[in-house]
Amino acid sequence: MAAQPQPTSAMQVVLGAIQLPRNWRLGLGPILAAIVLALIVIATASAYLYVPHNPMSMDALQRLKGPSETYWLGTDPYGRDLFSRVMVGGQVSLLIGIGAAIVSVIIGLLIGLVSGFFRLADAIIMRVMDALMAIPSILLAIALVALNGPSIWSVIFAITLPEIPRVVRLVRSVVLSAREEPYVEAAIALGSSMPKILWKHLMPNTLAPLIVQGTYICASAILTEAILSFLGAGVSTEIPTWGNIMAEGRLFFQIKPELIFWPGLMLSLCILSINLLGDTARDLLDPRLKKREA
Amino acid sequence: MLFRNRHFDDKPVALEILGLSVATAGNDPVPILNTIDVTIHQGETVCLVGESGSGKSVTSLAVMGLLPKGALEVTTGRIELDGKNLLDLDASQMRELRAQRISMIFQEPMTALNPVMKVGDQIEEVLDSHTKLPTREKKRRVIDIMQQVHLPDVERIYGSYPHQLSGGQRQRIMIAMALILEPKLLIADEPTTALDVTTQNQVLKLIAELQESHGTAVLFITHDMGVVAEIADTVYVMRNGDIVESAAVETLLRSPQKDYTRRLLEAVPSLVPRDARPESWADPVLSVDGLTKIYDTRGFFKKGRETKAAQDVKFRIKPGRTLGIVGESGSGKSTVARCVMRLIDPTEGRIKVGQTDIAKLGRGELQPHRKHIQIVFQDPFRSLNPRWTVGESLIEGPLNFGQSKAEAMKHAAELMELVGLPADALGRYPHQFSGGQRQRIAIARAIAMRPDILVADEAVSALDVSVQAQVLKLLDELQEKLGIAILFITHDLRVAAQICDEVVVMQHGRIVEHDTAENVLSQPSHDYTRALIEAAPGRHWDFANFRELSLHQTETA
Repeated sequence: MAAQPQPTSAMQVVLGAIQLPRNWRLGLGPILAAIVLALIVIATASAYLYVPHNPMSMDALQRLKGPSETYWLGTDPYGRDLFSRVMVGGQVSLLIGIGAAIVSVIIGLLIGLVSGFFRLADAIIMRVMDALMAIPSILLAIALVALNGPSIWSVIFAITLPEIPRVVRLVRSVVLSAREEPYVEAAIALGSSMPKILWKHLMPNTLAPLIVQGTYICASAILTEAILSFLGAGVSTEIPTWGNIMAEGRLFFQIKPELIFWPGLMLSLCILSINLLGDTARDLLDPRLKKREA
Repeated sequence: MLFRNRHFDDKPVALEILGLSVATAGNDPVPILNTIDVTIHQGETVCLVGESGSGKSVTSLAVMGLLPKGALEVTTGRIELDGKNLLDLDASQMRELRAQRISMIFQEPMTALNPVMKVGDQIEEVLDSHTKLPTREKKRRVIDIMQQVHLPDVERIYGSYPHQLSGGQRQRIMIAMALILEPKLLIADEPTTALDVTTQNQVLKLIAELQESHGTAVLFITHDMGVVAEIADTVYVMRNGDIVESAAVETLLRSPQKDYTRRLLEAVPSLVPRDARPESWADPVLSVDGLTKIYDTRGFFKKGRETKAAQDVKFRIKPGRTLGIVGESGSGKSTVARCVMRLIDPTEGRIKVGQTDIAKLGRGELQPHRKHIQIVFQDPFRSLNPRWTVGESLIEGPLNFGQSKAEAMKHAAELMELVGLPADALGRYPHQFSGGQRQRIAIARAIAMRPDILVADEAVSALDVSVQAQVLKLLDELQEKLGIAILFITHDLRVAAQICDEVVVMQHGRIVEHDTAENVLSQPSHDYTRALIEAAPGRHWDFANFRELSLHQTETA
């Protein structure tokens, strides 16, 4: 094989796991998804700086108003501005989605590395993980929130815990196949310590699948949060989230469907675009999958 | 040496490749084959020989019409089978032709066979897709061809799955599938490379025998000059997409015309052992005694069995000496290497490195002893971490033993020059090097620890002969300079003859013979050793000197 000089930019060194195919081109879908997601993030983030109305302040005179110049999307049964509430509601949803993805990936990575490399630990850890997976995740989440109270952090914890076994299994399977590679055996022969082998030789192999898995977890966490809020088992109803805006709007659905439509639309767009970007990341990071389709 | 010295000039031409050029598809095509011509007569065996990347497999794929779409395409030329240009045919006509007129066998029968289908049904499938025979007739033909490829207990094997058969049996099934429709041309792409020598010998004989009885033309692709000497009528030597030279096999081996052919032949290691080195009186650096490794698959809930991968293995190596462990797959030679490296834990026995027995040490206690004994693996594409620069790989060991990074890097640069690579390549990644270069890097990484013992586990088996010769020479020089002891694991008697002072022959996990290389190769005392030597292809030919081995040598080798 001829030696091909390839550019080794700092970026490529940092993300050693990611070697993009030379002529990759994104389709229209991922670009649209990225734009939609960016808009949602910018909108919800800018709500920290400015919202047209206080999303909590009620006004008995302005109940269930239609869209107007003051209330762009109308008001809810308590006279609160729907537009402001949807903007602010996104903050909690995104925070929980991203938080759950990061926390479950990090914890799952650490447990998975240990489990993949040490046989004894593996036997114990995987039984615990099996047990966790045997409990329906929504049920477990409701129980955890009921136990810890309805704060954002307890919801993140409740959503993260059921996701961890999936990450552990993924990392473990990558480690199990990578540890048989001669370069890992060579590292053992060179006297490298176990933590060093785990972190420097094996961990980078898991990065690409973890990035993809992380996006799926993020999307599913946002959805789970909405479900929990809708059931009244999520973040306390004083804080607007897409889920509890819809839960409150449910009663007036027949008179005023926008109360469910707008937060629902945001939720769907957000999850759809995150999943689409996840698929794109998977195709780029693991070109074999794409080839199979062709 | 008896060559097949048959003449084919009066026989009709089976396949003719005329001015065939293949290039990569796309905007700036890279030529892969440059106007090559090959002629194969009916009943003739034509060998395409060359090193990796020479274009021999591309040639066979072009004939089969199996060039990867969108990656490679034929630019000019004709491929004529019975006067019909195959390149004019469309996909469905080509499909009709394959198996009926041309068929192919591959290197790795395990991956070429469907693992979830009985082998009998797989052979039958070939008949189904190309003929309309009644069920009983089909079965009769399948059983008949299975008998022709000398499979034992045909009825049982008919209903077996591929994993239940040995490598040799699987390759026989592949050959049966290829020949059941009596094709005009059989393309064999390295069909024996993945097999043990004794099995290889049988498969080569089988192909020759079937060719005689069916009159098939064979296009045989190989990198192994020994195989060429055994099986070829005509040889085409390929290099970088060109045909360098073509001639009848004896003419080519006796008087090669081109420099490249000469170099290729000279690189083939001889079966005659190199001259013995003077006896060494130093204390052994490695002594292994009663080493046993038992794999126990019995569990608390399941029935299993004990597999004795290595049993009562015993040897010692002195500094500056090379001990070879030779055996076929499953003989336990790699198990021994991995036990000695403590990559796996031996069940019993002593492994003394210097004065310390490391066989029973725990992970932590072992660490200080790791630097005395290092390993080089077979596959240079997998033994270096693809995400690390060469420099990072080279300093990994020294950093573990307390060298500073700057010092280790400086040493790494010296090591690169020691193994014949430019020192400024330290910042490059493994994929930027060829297989031979990577193996040099792997050797440099092992040497960086200044070990007393180097374990080379099939370290040259994945390399082309010319590269193999260079790496063997490098190992020899390093041994001279640094006085390391080498434990050399190989399945290749030729390689063992060229580098080892002593040879241990293993079979079924036991040592069956242990003597000097000279004695093992010239006066083998065990039947198994004798069988191994007899199976070595081209063993009567002295490739490097273009002649028969002299009578004395022939008797002894």
